[in-house]
Amino acid sequence: MLAPASDMPNRVVPVLASLALVLIWWLDFGIVQPNRIVPGTGYGLVEAIGAANSAGLSAGLLALMVMARHRFRARFYGLGALVALLLMWQPILLAEFADRQLPADAAYARTAIGAGFWSLLFLLGLMAIEVLSQLPSPRGHHLILVALVLVVWGVCVAAGRLDSLSLVTEYASRPDQFRQALTHHLALSLSAVLCSLVIAIALAIMMMRRDRWRQPVLATVSFLQTIPSLALFGLLIAPLSALSTAFPFLQTLGIRGIGWAPALLALVAYSLLPIVRNTYVALSEVPDDLVDAGRGMGMSERQLFLKLKLPLAMPIIIEGVRVTTIQAMGLTAVAALIGAGGFGTFIFQGLGQAAMDLVLLGALPTIALALAADGVLTALGQVCRPAGLKANG
Amino acid sequence: MRVFIRPCVWLLALLFCASFMSVFEALFGWFQPGQTSLIYQRAGFLSLLQNHVLLVLISGSIGTAMAVSAGILVTRGWGRDFLPLASQVASIGQTFPPVAVLALAVPVLGFGEAPTLMALVLYGLLPILRNTLVGLDGIAPAVKEAASGMGMSPTQVLLKVELPLAGRVILAGVRTSVTINIATAAIGSTIGARTLGDPVIAGLVNGNTGYVLQGALLIGLLAITTDSLFEALQRTWSQRLLAAAVAG
Amino acid sequence: MIELKGVSCRFGSTVAVDAINLTVETGEVCVLVGSSGCGKSTTLRMINRLLPHSAGEISVDGQDIRRIDVRKLRLNMGYAIQGTGLFPHWTVARNVALVPKLLGWSRDRITTRVDELLTLLGLAPETFANKYPEQLSGGQAQRVGVARALAADPNILLMDEPFGALDAITRDNLQNEMLRIQRQVHKTTVFVTHDIDEALRLATRIAVMDQGRILQHDTPENILRSPANAFVENLLGSQDRGLKLSALRRVGDAMSRHPQPCEPDLETDWLSEDDSLRQALSVMLWHEAEQLPVRDAGGAEIGVLSRDQIWTGAT
Repeated sequence: MLAPASDMPNRVVPVLASLALVLIWWLDFGIVQPNRIVPGTGYGLVEAIGAANSAGLSAGLLALMVMARHRFRARFYGLGALVALLLMWQPILLAEFADRQLPADAAYARTAIGAGFWSLLFLLGLMAIEVLSQLPSPRGHHLILVALVLVVWGVCVAAGRLDSLSLVTEYASRPDQFRQALTHHLALSLSAVLCSLVIAIALAIMMMRRDRWRQPVLATVSFLQTIPSLALFGLLIAPLSALSTAFPFLQTLGIRGIGWAPALLALVAYSLLPIVRNTYVALSEVPDDLVDAGRGMGMSERQLFLKLKLPLAMPIIIEGVRVTTIQAMGLTAVAALIGAGGFGTFIFQGLGQAAMDLVLLGALPTIALALAADGVLTALGQVCRPAGLKANG
Repeated sequence: MRVFIRPCVWLLALLFCASFMSVFEALFGWFQPGQTSLIYQRAGFLSLLQNHVLLVLISGSIGTAMAVSAGILVTRGWGRDFLPLASQVASIGQTFPPVAVLALAVPVLGFGEAPTLMALVLYGLLPILRNTLVGLDGIAPAVKEAASGMGMSPTQVLLKVELPLAGRVILAGVRTSVTINIATAAIGSTIGARTLGDPVIAGLVNGNTGYVLQGALLIGLLAITTDSLFEALQRTWSQRLLAAAVAG
Repeated sequence: MIELKGVSCRFGSTVAVDAINLTVETGEVCVLVGSSGCGKSTTLRMINRLLPHSAGEISVDGQDIRRIDVRKLRLNMGYAIQGTGLFPHWTVARNVALVPKLLGWSRDRITTRVDELLTLLGLAPETFANKYPEQLSGGQAQRVGVARALAADPNILLMDEPFGALDAITRDNLQNEMLRIQRQVHKTTVFVTHDIDEALRLATRIAVMDQGRILQHDTPENILRSPANAFVENLLGSQDRGLKLSALRRVGDAMSRHPQPCEPDLETDWLSEDDSLRQALSVMLWHEAEQLPVRDAGGAEIGVLSRDQIWTGAT
């Protein structure tokens, strides 16, 4: 047998840290733009944050490399703490950069994050994942780390230290739109998930009752999943606009060829497959002998479903909901193309105006929402996993 | 070979629609009275189709090559240290919405085919990587031990035992990846790649439902053709495995 | 008392059980034995109406089971199956409490009952009550399965190859437990197995089944002495019927008893009064002994068993 990984010198962190070290010195750390559209001037590490900070940052990365080579067990806690500290330091460095290089007289000037900084963030993120996966129970540490880092970034933004950052500027010029995009995005994707959850459970139960429904239902929902999102959104425009022309009262409800109606329909269609498949598989894979034992001892069908099948199937059903929700968060962004609102609006507006920061203002929250949905539903899956079932079972 | 009839039929339908979209002109005219431009003319559908397929094909090949070699690398020797990270990245990465990845490629590479290709490669390799890891991990250790115990070199074990056994799972990963990439490439229109998404976007911008329908129809047909092709490939693959198992 | 009169079970055109008649007297253990597919499980599952019978009549204590509410019927019948069927997401205690809870017993009564049953099955409640099935060994899980079947003190116990998935030693232990418990609780039991030795050991009467029919229904001894046909003979294994018969007898019943229990001779080998004649024969063969002293459970020598007594006692 191999010794447990935690007793061996870790090679992953040193590789990532040395890569980060090379990239921050090589690539631009930050960019200053005179206004929104014009490409700016890049600044290297020392120019951007000064010699002392550069040395400190490099020392931090070197410390990671050294620490990872040691064999003592607790080193992953130390590594985790150091990675977390570095991640928390980043917004402060950005603020420092703005203080140093932002011209005081130019009203429209703004700072943007350079490739070096992005690489550093990305590699630190990878190191965090690696370190967390080496710790005994990743969940709790995971949350603490994410929360700490988010709090520091949040405090820096709230305190106005990052006001010159182009992303923040973009947000500051449209906070109401941002809030509206957030509500639309959440409302649309979550209602789609909710609708498909109801439909999917009904379909799954139907397939359990009548076996001949199984093949056509599964074939249909996986067919729907195959159609590319843009095509499905597009194909729904025509019938829905025809409907709303034929029945004007639908227009008063907001059902038109474009807008939320075709978006919701398409999203529901997409969301069906993971939930239907998981619900059906989970419910039908409850072992026959358990059902038999329960029935033989006098449980009613209702009791069998509620007390036996559903609890045993729950983790897999929630897994289906998780996959669906992540997918819906992303597809809702595409739905902006047919006027359904949400963060996709910023992405496509930004692409249209070649305003990259506006694109980021749409893309980053979309990713954040998907990650948050992933986190919340994974946690919910853990909570709903009946005690007595193996963690990986 | 009968399994390939279905993808061939879909392919013919796709090629027919792409070549002779104008035969449906009357239909679109009936649908949109008063619209003067009924059929998307800015570029030929066939050339759009060709470009779309090319994008998916290139990104798929690069992605598969990268993902499979990465999967092999992290499951043996020195690279094994990177296995936890690789599988974590493969699963966390897939929570990123494809459209966001597409959007993030623009600041790096500007507009056009290049950022689309990069996004497709990056995003497409994740499901392949995950399936490669699952497939290689799913092989019973006894099988590998037996193979090396009978004198096969590590390379032979990899090429003759591991990859053939994991192949079906890897192929399923490629199918997922290609399905996603066809959809993402269509959205690539918004960042300047010339694909079948063009008519849809143009139609949405100009309020021309006909364009939207034409684009959507072709994208849908392309997706179905590809998916049924993979379905057929997977069938023949498992039949071949079955035949090999029976013969062995 | 369970009575089956002309009971058949058909699935489409296949006949799983073909017009069988069977009476299980109150308090006896009726073992259905036969190879897989002979209809023994089907017969059992018709009794608690998990399967409907296509013809004939099944009655429990004189009442047609089709007239009894199906849940009431099942709640009054303990049911234990191969592979336990324990619910993996419930603790041992909750699993055992299943039927009492369905019957709406008070919480105190259920707790008392669960402890009582776990103790009866040789599982210390304080150790086992809060474990999950996954944390149990195969034998322990099967004990819990039996405890669950006994929970609400049903009149009837239905057991479908309950020990089928266990290793030989654990199975042997559990068979002993069964015999001990049965002596205490006297449940009317229908027990399905494919293992003829298990059947001979546990049964008051055995019903040998093949192709949906009952070939012979009699006591283990009678079946061993006069198998009804070649199939039964084959099932018994014609070569060691004699040994099987000797396994049915206790040493205590065949030995010559001392007038007074006396101090045992510590040097010699000995038999226990509860050993079977088969075991006694084996010990004698091994030690090449003509006769061996017999001790009771307390260790006192109470008699002597000779080789001749095995001969006369076994046949």
